[in-house]
Amino acid sequence: MKATHWLFAYLAAVVAVTLLHEPWLLAGFLAAALAASGAARWRILRRAVLAVLTFNLTVSLGYAAVSLWQGRFSAAYLLLVNLRVLLLVYLGFWFVARVNLLEACRFSPSLSFVVTLAAGQIEAFSRALRDFRLAFVSRNAAAPALAARARHAAAQAGHLLDKSVCMAAETALAMRSRGCFDDYTGLPPQHAVPQPVPLWRPHRSGAAPAAYKKP
Amino acid sequence: MHIPDGFLSPQTYLPAYAAAGIAWAWAARGLQRTLDEETVPRLAAMTALAYGLGLVMVPIPGGTSGHALGVAMLALLFGVRLSFLAYSLVLLLQSLLFGAGGITALAVNALAMGLAGSVAAVLAFRGLRRLNETAAVAIAAWASVVLPGLLVALALGVQPLIAHKEDGTPLFFPFGLSITLPAVLIPHVFIGAGEAVLTVLVWRFAQARKWCAG
Repeated sequence: MKATHWLFAYLAAVVAVTLLHEPWLLAGFLAAALAASGAARWRILRRAVLAVLTFNLTVSLGYAAVSLWQGRFSAAYLLLVNLRVLLLVYLGFWFVARVNLLEACRFSPSLSFVVTLAAGQIEAFSRALRDFRLAFVSRNAAAPALAARARHAAAQAGHLLDKSVCMAAETALAMRSRGCFDDYTGLPPQHAVPQPVPLWRPHRSGAAPAAYKKP
Repeated sequence: MHIPDGFLSPQTYLPAYAAAGIAWAWAARGLQRTLDEETVPRLAAMTALAYGLGLVMVPIPGGTSGHALGVAMLALLFGVRLSFLAYSLVLLLQSLLFGAGGITALAVNALAMGLAGSVAAVLAFRGLRRLNETAAVAIAAWASVVLPGLLVALALGVQPLIAHKEDGTPLFFPFGLSITLPAVLIPHVFIGAGEAVLTVLVWRFAQARKWCAG
């Protein structure tokens, strides 16, 4: 299945999950998703549980407190909402683990363009932040004072923005050189440019080329 | 203030996707003309910064989270359209890579934070710029946090009214407006103050590098 098909299958599954209101059905779908996701299932499940834990715990405890106080507590609701959230997040992480997001967005050139740019920047930011943190730790034998941390954070923020702009400028220039920003709207349709005939073409027929024989 | 996945009913998120689709199409119009080799690097840097800011979040009992947005910086530097598009992308990446927010809540989050936040920031800035530019930036940033907070609280608070079982048990988000409005708005009044300080600092950085006319 192509990445774009996976994207649409994932979106359909998300809508279907929100239309189900039976906890046992959601539990069944979660079990099916776990079974289908292969060796990575426990890693994805762990990530999904960690991602939803704080929010769901906050909402669940809040709901338990308010509904018990009002005498309308429903354990089935807590099970339903927690299973639904876990399943949705699991499906999202499974999709990202299985499918290349850039490939899935290929149906829209503008979307691919923006996703490529942003994903590149985010990766560059994360790497630079990690480098800064490790450098700061290695230069301080003892825990640094609050003022030192603040100075470091300010210097880091300024440097990161400058570095990020420089890197993105390089990317943008590369894109410019490939005609990414050229605007052809309003111009008359162009005739096909005749391609130069190559002087030599490699042999590409189905059969393997015959072995070289000494004359 | 992301609304997490699974707390919005299809009656809410499907119409929100329709509205967001129209807004995304409007924002994407003329995108090729707006983006050039000067705007793209700045936009990418600011988008990455907004992405980073949005990941440092604290859960709020009202069912959402508190964090700086960075949408005011985007809106003041690039305008509402680009800011809305860039922030929508930030939300998409955050939901797919970190499970923050979610694909079902993406449209509501994008409309509240990306569109309403950008519009609030730009309107507040334009209205107050003549009085004092720094104060205008700060108030614009504060408004860009508080207005989306209000919209998010409204979207969550109506869930028990529109999606519940016959016995009244909620099917999606359990708390009504009487809980979500104070629970979401009060923390965001203070988060907005932090956002204002941050945005003023980035605004000065941008001015020092002549990114903005101001």
